[in-house]
Amino acid sequence: MVVDDHPMWRDGVARDLTDAGYRVVAAVGEGAQAVRIGPSVRPEVVVLDLQLPDLSGVEVIQGLVAALPQVRVLVLSASGEQQDVLDAVKAGAAGYLLKSAAREEFLDAVRRTAEGDAVFTAGLAGLVLGEYRRLAAAPGDGADAPRLSERETEVLRLVAKGMTYRQIAERLTLSHRTVQNHVQNTLGKLQLHNRVELVRYAIEQGLDD
Amino acid sequence: MGLQAPLWRAVTVFRVAALVYATVLMLTGFRDFTRPWLGWAVLAAMIAWTAVTGVHYHDPAGRNRSWLAADLAFTLACLLASMLVVPAAKLSSGGATLPMAWVAGAVLVWALRGGRRAGGIAALIVGAADLFLRGEITSATVNGTVLLLLAGGVMGYVSRLTDDAETRLQRAVELEAATRERERLARGMHDSVLQVLALVQRRGTELGGEAAELGRLAGEQEAVLRSLVGVHVTAAVAGTADLRLLLGRYGSPLVTVATPATPVLLPAAVAAELAAAAGSALDNVATHCGSSARAWVLVEQEPDAVTVSIRDDGPGIAPGRLAEAATSGRLGVAQSIQGRVRDLGGTVAITSGPGQGTEVELRVPLPR
Repeated sequence: MVVDDHPMWRDGVARDLTDAGYRVVAAVGEGAQAVRIGPSVRPEVVVLDLQLPDLSGVEVIQGLVAALPQVRVLVLSASGEQQDVLDAVKAGAAGYLLKSAAREEFLDAVRRTAEGDAVFTAGLAGLVLGEYRRLAAAPGDGADAPRLSERETEVLRLVAKGMTYRQIAERLTLSHRTVQNHVQNTLGKLQLHNRVELVRYAIEQGLDD
Repeated sequence: MGLQAPLWRAVTVFRVAALVYATVLMLTGFRDFTRPWLGWAVLAAMIAWTAVTGVHYHDPAGRNRSWLAADLAFTLACLLASMLVVPAAKLSSGGATLPMAWVAGAVLVWALRGGRRAGGIAALIVGAADLFLRGEITSATVNGTVLLLLAGGVMGYVSRLTDDAETRLQRAVELEAATRERERLARGMHDSVLQVLALVQRRGTELGGEAAELGRLAGEQEAVLRSLVGVHVTAAVAGTADLRLLLGRYGSPLVTVATPATPVLLPAAVAAELAAAAGSALDNVATHCGSSARAWVLVEQEPDAVTVSIRDDGPGIAPGRLAEAATSGRLGVAQSIQGRVRDLGGTVAITSGPGQGTEVELRVPLPR
């Protein structure tokens, strides 16, 4: 499923995906529409533009994940607005790519998203790294903030410096798969923390009934 | 006008309260007065004056010099009238005057309008009249004058503070409007220009030839525009700068800049030097690795330091080359990067190997 309010892009992305052998079950221009038809078309992967006219990226992701827990969302964004990207990833997006990425890069990202891997650009790794540091430094809830292991930090830093998984595996003498797992974990912990925070907030506000 | 209005209202409230006190004193003491009828007349005049000024000062235009002068003159007249009403023996022994605390109203008004100095002058004039009235310096006179001076000083100070606050508020409102307009433009740009540029870049690159060149140009412009509209204007604390904004300028299709989502605030001078050092490291990449080399910049904020790493995928530097360059006098990297960072109390680590690219890590401690 492709969600993008820009018709030229929506058609272009859908065509690229069709040419590459994917079946595009829906191409829509509004977030609400995506959330509404999501459960009936049951996409495996959603390619989502972050800036939609009606809903925020986070709302669309939450709506889709609530109805389709197995769905994988790849965020495609033109502006790379940092906080928006971070929020989207915390809400459950599996990866993020700038629209200026080449077609091969994009198709590769879709393939990896479909396989369940996290798609990390250097920019996203920098954001995630910064978020862990911010959570660790934040006063008060420093104790239950998620932490990265030394190895995870090391891997994430190398991703943020633009190294490929293969290069990282070589440098740290790890297997490609291990590197991938480390990256995946950094994202998983952050998303889990985000969900815990949301639940805690809901309980504090008395919204849990 | 907004913030001053409550202060003027407060003066009127004070005057009404002081009137009540003066009335109570009058009721308990008028039997001893030499001319009770004059005492009641003065009290009536004070009530009328409080009402008139309360209404008049409500309009900011009414708070002018002639009214303020009249206000002080009337207050003095009420104070001096005490000589004709209250027995002299009582006055000289520190007894109550007719208006009592009500005289402070005029001092407060002067302080509000003219600041600490005007408030002080009014307090001294009222104090002098009080002294003249009593005929000798008593502790009550001194006490009263000091209290008036304090009241005038504090009110004048508060008045200036609210003026300042109002100016700042005005500026903040303007800034907010400008920011909102910028965000509106950014949204518009995202919906049209960025999308089209990214599309041109992608299709151009796929078509090849001249179209690829067009695509590359579109890509460069896309990166520049994105860095312009992508980052929110954060309320800058005076004297500090967000390192993300300074380094974001280096972003291009070849240079990726990765940062945290929150501002990395440093003293402006430190941020500028650090950004300049990173800039010369990037220049170095272009010089030594060719114009098509890719580079990655990573900004990390730790509790006690900020780290900026610059990595390229070029051929790398052979061991000893840096030291060799330093001894032979070609100090480009050493001076402009290491010098700048060392001046900030930071360290530079350069790791490289043939075929592995080069990584320059700049680490600057945060000021306490």
